[in-house]
Amino acid sequence: MRGQTTHPDTDALAEFHAGLATGRRGAGIAAHLAECDRCSALCDELAGVSALLAAVPTQAMPDRVAQRLDSVLAAEVARRTDSERARGDSPRHRGTARRPARKRGWRLVPLRVLAPAAAVVLAAAGYGLSQLPHGSGNLASPSSGAAGAARPASGVVPAARRAEPMSPASFPFLTSHTNFLPGTLKQQVEAALRVAESARATKAPPAAVTACVRNVAGSANALMVESARYQGQAAIIIVIRTSKGEVALVAGAGCSATHGKPLATTTVP
Amino acid sequence: MRDADEQWPSDAELLRRHVAGDDQAFGELFSRHRDRLWAVALSTVCEPEEAADALQDAMVSAFRRAADFRGESAVTTWLHRIVVNAALDRLRRRAARPALSAADGQAFEALAGPEGDPAHTTDIRLDVDAALRILPPQQRAALVVVDMLGFSVADAAVILDISPGTVKSRCARARARLLPHVSHLRGNRSASESVSPVQGGDT
Repeated sequence: MRGQTTHPDTDALAEFHAGLATGRRGAGIAAHLAECDRCSALCDELAGVSALLAAVPTQAMPDRVAQRLDSVLAAEVARRTDSERARGDSPRHRGTARRPARKRGWRLVPLRVLAPAAAVVLAAAGYGLSQLPHGSGNLASPSSGAAGAARPASGVVPAARRAEPMSPASFPFLTSHTNFLPGTLKQQVEAALRVAESARATKAPPAAVTACVRNVAGSANALMVESARYQGQAAIIIVIRTSKGEVALVAGAGCSATHGKPLATTTVP
Repeated sequence: MRDADEQWPSDAELLRRHVAGDDQAFGELFSRHRDRLWAVALSTVCEPEEAADALQDAMVSAFRRAADFRGESAVTTWLHRIVVNAALDRLRRRAARPALSAADGQAFEALAGPEGDPAHTTDIRLDVDAALRILPPQQRAALVVVDMLGFSVADAAVILDISPGTVKSRCARARARLLPHVSHLRGNRSASESVSPVQGGDT
């Protein structure tokens, strides 16, 4: 015993540790701690609580939560777009000087490449959470450049009935970390397509993707191509318009100009 | 060639682009911080579905109120503030419900399992999650923001909309209350179990 008869309670020690016990009270606790091993150890343990909490790894957001937030965010974007249109307002024209190419791409996609009304269904999930797990996702359409301009709207001819081979740069392309799954493939594709009208971007897909899409889609018009995951493995999701409707095909990582047997397919109502 | 800011824009730049009409900017911003935002929501409300609801409320609120951001704090601080507010709102709304339930615990375990955590890490997190539930929501929120997420007291004061002194006070009480429930996780049982937090003890 070191001449101290009253131990501070744990709250008092915690407040002292947090710098809240000042003046005479603080000095009294400090003096006590200098002499009392037990309270000193307790103080160390309080510090250890903070250390323990700091060491607990942050739990990643579950995919299902990310996908849910994706849908909500897409709806918010669509709501804002609708609202702007209704007002005849266009915030897009404010403060976007840094990204002229993207804005031009957004204009070109629906007007020049996919002008046939039935085919104006672009995926725009690129801004979503599940598509952008760490801010790295991007939505890309090659149509802002020469390819888009070189492919004028075909007027009344439905895209799916075009006989010519698909231009290598005629589909909206996006990358994401979405993990498409067999049981929910249809719903996941639908979710991606639901946000179609907001699609806009600039970059061309990698040549390997273009080759894969040409192989898999043939002459059909690709409405959306997404580099993502399928059952946890790298995959390319291709949504094409056929004479019988829209179909989503899942191509594996080995998909190329010569190998492209789909891993899975689903119709998209 | 795009410049660095174009390739990796700051949070503030993304928010500015969102306000200017860029449809992708907000998603990218939210994605950057999503795991921490999820952590603070989950740790505050202690129930996954409620946390998802709170995070959804917060995301929509931030999306719509982005133009109100004045840059008085970091964007991430602003985002966390909105999430904490949404989480505490959720807690207030369900105040009549019991704080603990077996279903909540099972839901936590279900959430913690499939992400590939090492088993011991998951165990520790579950223990910490369980211990956090004994705290009053306001104390829990303060402790999560400061000790788990590592915000400074000043930033935590902004996030929680309380004074720095109150942040310290809530954290101090929370640590004291939590101590007996987490000491075993650090392998030092002695002091917390042998000393009752009462005055007048005698050595």
